[in-house]
Amino acid sequence: MKRLLSAEFLKLIKQSKTYYALGAILIIELLILMTAYFQGSTILDLLLDNLKQSFYFEGNLLNGNLIMYIVLNSLWFNVPLILMIVTSGIVTDEYRYGTMQTVMLQAVDKWKFMAAKYITAVLFTVVVIAFMMLTTFILAYSIFGRGDLVVYLNTLNFFEDADAFQRICYAFASGAVSMVFYCVVSLTLAIFIKEATKTWIAACLFLIITTMLLKVDFVLPVINNFFFPKLIDTWQQFFYNVPDWSAISINTIILILYTLVFAAAGTFIFHKKDIE
Amino acid sequence: MLIGTNLSKSYSSGKALNNVSIHISSGQICGLLGRNGAGKTTLFKILCGLVKPDEGKVVINSKRRKPIGGIIERPGLYDFLNAYDNIKIFAGIQGAPTDKTSIEQTLLKVGLPTDRKDPVKNFSLGMKQRLGIAVALINDPECLVLDEPFSGLDPIGVASLIGLIQTLAEKENIAILLSSHMMAEISKCCHFIYVIEKGEIVNSGITNVLINQHITTFSITASNIALSASLKNHAVEIGTNDAKIACTAKEIPALLSELLKEGIEVTACTPVLTLEQLIKKAI
Repeated sequence: MKRLLSAEFLKLIKQSKTYYALGAILIIELLILMTAYFQGSTILDLLLDNLKQSFYFEGNLLNGNLIMYIVLNSLWFNVPLILMIVTSGIVTDEYRYGTMQTVMLQAVDKWKFMAAKYITAVLFTVVVIAFMMLTTFILAYSIFGRGDLVVYLNTLNFFEDADAFQRICYAFASGAVSMVFYCVVSLTLAIFIKEATKTWIAACLFLIITTMLLKVDFVLPVINNFFFPKLIDTWQQFFYNVPDWSAISINTIILILYTLVFAAAGTFIFHKKDIE
Repeated sequence: MLIGTNLSKSYSSGKALNNVSIHISSGQICGLLGRNGAGKTTLFKILCGLVKPDEGKVVINSKRRKPIGGIIERPGLYDFLNAYDNIKIFAGIQGAPTDKTSIEQTLLKVGLPTDRKDPVKNFSLGMKQRLGIAVALINDPECLVLDEPFSGLDPIGVASLIGLIQTLAEKENIAILLSSHMMAEISKCCHFIYVIEKGEIVNSGITNVLINQHITTFSITASNIALSASLKNHAVEIGTNDAKIACTAKEIPALLSELLKEGIEVTACTPVLTLEQLIKKAI
């Protein structure tokens, strides 16, 4: 397994699209920073106009913590989309180059090979989110400085600087679990579909449907609580005044279970299927 | 030794293989001739274990870690990596040595340079075929299957690849099965030939015997062959520098001596045997 993993990492490191993905995430961050730099104060003034008539605001609300929260919101669509495209390529590229056949002609266990791919996708996702978090911290704090965080979730929630930083760190960690789920799904889709473009379309569709279902009321509490589209926004719960730690823990565990089920299903199907 | 017995495989589009049996001994080069879509690739995939047959079984008498290696349809390589890294990856995933000396030895075995650092996408098809064979040979398999290894190669590439295949069979004692729809290439290097048509083996035999049994035409190359009187006893099709003569293999020695007596300067005499003849005769 160790050898399979190192081969997967070598492939990932040597492929230009890995760096395109990191570049794309950096561009998203820079665009958010530029927009915030030039228009952030105006937008914030508009949002808080009513409140400013009743309350006195001390300090700068357009600060590094707010920028990081805005960057975190790219976990809704932009970042999972990029990650799903890159990670599905871990499988579709093997079919495209004909290397899937070559690998299966070697003394390699099918299930070990696919398990190594899933582990690589998970580690890559975690590294990308860590990269995103680190670059945002550096850029946002160095340009906008520190300060208290204001977030609108049903109502306006205010967090002091140190508390905000901690919540953002937790949110990035929780977001990483959601991103891992998406990546594992895209890899499973790639096993079924094999062809890159079709897999991208299926992955996009999955992402869109999941995001749409997030807001749908399924009436049954069990579905509303445990169906996977309802679990992908767990990272947002860190920005309520009092986070529901029990719900966060349960959601995270269930989402990890969903991830394992998708990975197991993909590995099983790959093991059963002929290599055409 | 590679043995496939009573192999059958059906797809939704129809029966791809029907009761096919095949046998290749160590050190033997076996050819599988067939038109496109005859079932060659399906048979190769079954022999390599990529596809499960509906019926029949494959037996490879081997205790090695990798009993069979091969290239099916095209050499599947990581185009963005160089040859060295390709070998490193394919060797690494199956626990074969990945040190510099071992990788360079693998490259040299198939006649590839060890100093090329550019990605495989820049390689010629012939070089990719060689690298594909190098990958197939990692972990010393006892059998090697090569699906259409000559397609897309120029004559020099074909000759060079035939030399490599013969060396591997003779020196490494590997059982080699290769497929093609090109009669000339197969007849040059194979000890035994199977002919496949519509998923069934319709003809088989030792290469020379099979050719002698089915040959009806010879091509004789000579600059002044059109002047020959002895050719008038045969059905002849005269070309610019050659003539295609309808006769049996037994008649050739006498015909050649007559031509020499006439002062015709014969430079080559080759049997003209097409795949269609092998299929038609058998059916």
